[in-house]
Amino acid sequence: MAHTARFFTAEEVARRGMDNLPDELVSNRHLIYSSPATLAFNSPGAEGFGVKRAGLAIPGSVMLLVAPGCCGRNTSLVSDMPAYKDRFFYLNMAETDIVTGRHLKKIPAAVEEVVDCLPTRPSLVMICITCVDALLGTDMERVCRRAEERVGLPVRPCYMYALTREGRRPPMVHVRQSLYSLLEPRRKRATSVNVLGFFAPLVDDCELYDYLSGIGVKAIREVSRCADFDEFQRMAEANFNLVLHPEARFAAADLQERLGIPSIELTRLYQIDRVRRQYQALGQVLGSTFDDAEDYDAALAAVDALRAAAPHASFAVGECLNADTFELALALTRYGFEVREVFGTVQAQNFVFLRRLAELSPTTRVYSNMEPTMLYYDAASCPVDFALGKDAGWYHDDATCLAWNEDVQPYGYAGVRRLFEALLGSIGGGDEA
Amino acid sequence: MRGLRKYLTPFAPDQSGAVSVLYELGGIVVVCDAGGCTGNICGFDEPRWHTTRSAVFSAGLRDMDAILGRDDKLVAELADAAHKIDANFAAVVGTPVPSVIGTDYRALRRMAERVCELPIITVDTTGMELYDVGASKAYVELFDRFATETHPKERGCVLHLGANPLDLSRIPSPEVSLSFDNIVGASAAERTVVMAPSGLSAAKLLQRRFGIPYAFATPCDLRMGPMLKALPSVENKRVLVVDQQVAAAVLREELLARGASQIVCATWFMQVDELTQEGDARLREEDDFEELVYGGEFDVLVGDPTLWRIVSRFAGITVDVPQFPVSGKLVAAEAGMEAATEGCRP
Repeated sequence: MAHTARFFTAEEVARRGMDNLPDELVSNRHLIYSSPATLAFNSPGAEGFGVKRAGLAIPGSVMLLVAPGCCGRNTSLVSDMPAYKDRFFYLNMAETDIVTGRHLKKIPAAVEEVVDCLPTRPSLVMICITCVDALLGTDMERVCRRAEERVGLPVRPCYMYALTREGRRPPMVHVRQSLYSLLEPRRKRATSVNVLGFFAPLVDDCELYDYLSGIGVKAIREVSRCADFDEFQRMAEANFNLVLHPEARFAAADLQERLGIPSIELTRLYQIDRVRRQYQALGQVLGSTFDDAEDYDAALAAVDALRAAAPHASFAVGECLNADTFELALALTRYGFEVREVFGTVQAQNFVFLRRLAELSPTTRVYSNMEPTMLYYDAASCPVDFALGKDAGWYHDDATCLAWNEDVQPYGYAGVRRLFEALLGSIGGGDEA
Repeated sequence: MRGLRKYLTPFAPDQSGAVSVLYELGGIVVVCDAGGCTGNICGFDEPRWHTTRSAVFSAGLRDMDAILGRDDKLVAELADAAHKIDANFAAVVGTPVPSVIGTDYRALRRMAERVCELPIITVDTTGMELYDVGASKAYVELFDRFATETHPKERGCVLHLGANPLDLSRIPSPEVSLSFDNIVGASAAERTVVMAPSGLSAAKLLQRRFGIPYAFATPCDLRMGPMLKALPSVENKRVLVVDQQVAAAVLREELLARGASQIVCATWFMQVDELTQEGDARLREEDDFEELVYGGEFDVLVGDPTLWRIVSRFAGITVDVPQFPVSGKLVAAEAGMEAATEGCRP
């Protein structure tokens, strides 16, 4: 028995094509190995913004998790964070509840008891349900309406259905729809724009804010920057939505249908020329042009600075980070660095990056974090200088590790600049040393 | 309201208890879930996970797998893993999903054994019971399946049951940890030490099968050492101890020896008759704890610090002893841990 982790070269994967991927790279064709590198996959509530944190994105909201005890077990990881203190409550299901469905009748009273025990009235109660109710086919919308009547507050469902993770509307898509469904119609303002996609704001120095201000936008709203429920409601007055994460696509479509707010979708990229092209396309749609020379140069200067400091740097790129793994690997390769390993999930939307990566760096190893033989992964078989992403850092504890998975979102030229400044800083160069 | 938690997060569930027992035995452990349960188990309830690799897998069930009952797919994936990974055995651990769809674990085991060339055990946990129920089931499955041959007795050979991070609230030392060989050769043991109620059913099985006697004990001085050193005088005081029942019983003896007037032991988990004294309580809801404390005229409360929020009006002394399955906080690590002493007999 070979005790080695199975990988494929980028060239092999590209040659096989998206329709003929090896079983090792397709998560529903093998057991899912559980390591700290896969925690974000295994436990959507445990890391970053999973359903639980996302469901509490509305200021002043609280959540009642109606589920078997096991589903809420790790919530104390979140509820220990100051922003979530006293915002999680639980209604534990027993086997009898599953058989009889009696827990559904208890929910309105439980919501009332939660609301009554709080020192201030919440703006919203989210009812979070899990796989069990997915299988039972629970009509939680109806239950929520009953709870609303009882407490006189908005009560909304959110679905932490791990079973549907790879379905058409996975939980993180649905939770966004649920949140934005709270917006009530308002008079439109041509100078208001929403940024959808993330549950934390973009980095403060993201050039996108300046570009929008430059064309006359006065209010750029993100749910995470809304101080209270009223300000959140003002997102309904937007002239258009900028969708920065594909998981917000359905929510944006709902807003277009329900409130008549159109949307434009952008992608997070780390290839500077692609960032420029995307801004040019956005400018065309908006009937304007953005002067991006300064931001472009600053991002390029950051890349050059790392190139000067570590011209032959090698990388392992993971998937627990604020980037598309394959796009970032491609960007690094195009900047002249060596990407030896990628830990990622090959999907239709990133295959185009992988194919290009294969042309430039055919020997790059592609691993799936979730494949069983990752139990035997040995970093000594492929040493690198930098491990990018929390998962890659877990494998390569001898390399310089940059998790790059903070809540606040890097984006655009600012994202590129910050990434390379952080990399330079991590090896003792630049201002961050 | 029954089941409503306003202060406490849910306690460690049965599936976590089962994996805690199985974690270091060199088997393939498949949590039969969609992913979230495995994340909860490993990322929260299994402190060894961050430092020790173990072949723990999620079945990665999807909605259609559950709806169509695709056990054959699970078996094929398990067989694939068994061909790639060295293992003594494989264990399938239940969660709410197989519980809801009524998975036939016996059939699953037979199907898997046919193709895996490995002994298979199944633990029918549901995610709705508490950790000790799952740990108990795992111990029983293991001994029932693998401790079948009678070996000559080995002098000084002691088996420790209920020695896992959830029961002890710390990572067990090698001296009290079980290995797969210990299980296979269990009949050679002279006695069994039950360190938490989760180990009792397996101890009884070994007693029935091989005549091995058992006793309750847990290393009170080490687990609660820092607390006992800092403990104010309990002389003539009425004390409530909330912990797993063996630990609470050992502490009861210690506090009585220090002059406490009365000790009430309460537990959120299994309560076994052999350790229960008059006045002891089994807690299920936050309200139970509130009523017990406010109605009990206690001077001192000993337990996990997350409990104190429920009884914020309590004016006596509270003594913090973290209980991992309650708060997910381990007792501060100390160097080494000796084998349990028999501090408390049934």
